[in-house]
Amino acid sequence: MTAGDSTPGPLSRHILSLADTKRLLGIRYSDWILGSPSIETGIAASSMAQDEWGHARLLYAMLKKLGYDPFEVEHTRPADRYYSAPALDGPFADWADFTAAVVVVDGALAVALESFAAGNFALARTRVPKMLAEEEYHRRFGSAWFARLAGAGGDAESRLRESAMAMLPSTLAWLLPGDEVYDELVDDGRVWAADRVRERCIDRLAATLRGTGIALADVEPDHGGWDPERRRGPGAPGEEAVERARGDRNRDLFVE
Amino acid sequence: MSPPLGESVFEVFARKSRGEPLRHVGYVDAPGVELARVYAWKTYDEENWFEMCVVPRGAVIPVNRADGPWARNLPTEGDEG
Repeated sequence: MTAGDSTPGPLSRHILSLADTKRLLGIRYSDWILGSPSIETGIAASSMAQDEWGHARLLYAMLKKLGYDPFEVEHTRPADRYYSAPALDGPFADWADFTAAVVVVDGALAVALESFAAGNFALARTRVPKMLAEEEYHRRFGSAWFARLAGAGGDAESRLRESAMAMLPSTLAWLLPGDEVYDELVDDGRVWAADRVRERCIDRLAATLRGTGIALADVEPDHGGWDPERRRGPGAPGEEAVERARGDRNRDLFVE
Repeated sequence: MSPPLGESVFEVFARKSRGEPLRHVGYVDAPGVELARVYAWKTYDEENWFEMCVVPRGAVIPVNRADGPWARNLPTEGDEG
């Protein structure tokens, strides 16, 4: 069974959404391993990319419990079957995009994982806490770089604000789907209710975003063109990124 | 070599277990303490460290040598009144 065969249930959709977002985020981070502002920053980007791919692998593996073949899910889906956050559909144009994504997308992911770890799905309760411990370094990295660029003022600050504002509405919609599938997930005790997720999101991100004058509490999720099956708005990650996510170039080398 | 503009050097110390002494494992260039902590943890991740610390290079005072990376931190005459 693959994710493309049928509409996934609420828990499968949730796991796919988390795993695909982590996989795409890892790819976008990896683009900056070389060419980031310093060697240390590049090493951190490399480590964070590997964290994201490791977490994605663990999340995909959870799907086995739900009747999916994780190998098929990881290596065979076309781009329009990805459930990743729309902010990652294209590459980061500059370091402001990278920094904004660490705060906005990685931060939203961490909140979603906290919520998942607190629910009643046993695999999430046991596996997600270690991911969250690793995510703490992503949070520190994001808030420090965000403060640095915001504090620089001028073009750096305005570009950072523009980038974060471009990512926020679609990422908030990804985090807070507000649809029946998510409600079912809440009713089943898998995740926190939307109000609590939103509150935790503000706790985690608002102070950092305020550095560029963004009031997170005033930013509304954009559910325009919502696809309830993929838990995201319209579009899909770029083909080049999906080829990397699937490992197309290594396909002949796959062994089971 | 000097760190990039606006960055400082932080020495990195770590130990693998509670009873082991901290040892110097390297250094990172960072614009401040918070990124120094992240860079150190992400750069020197070859071991499952029990504890890691960063120290601004400017805070390390050599005791018995007048050369090496910390020589510039030697107090000059009259520093302590």
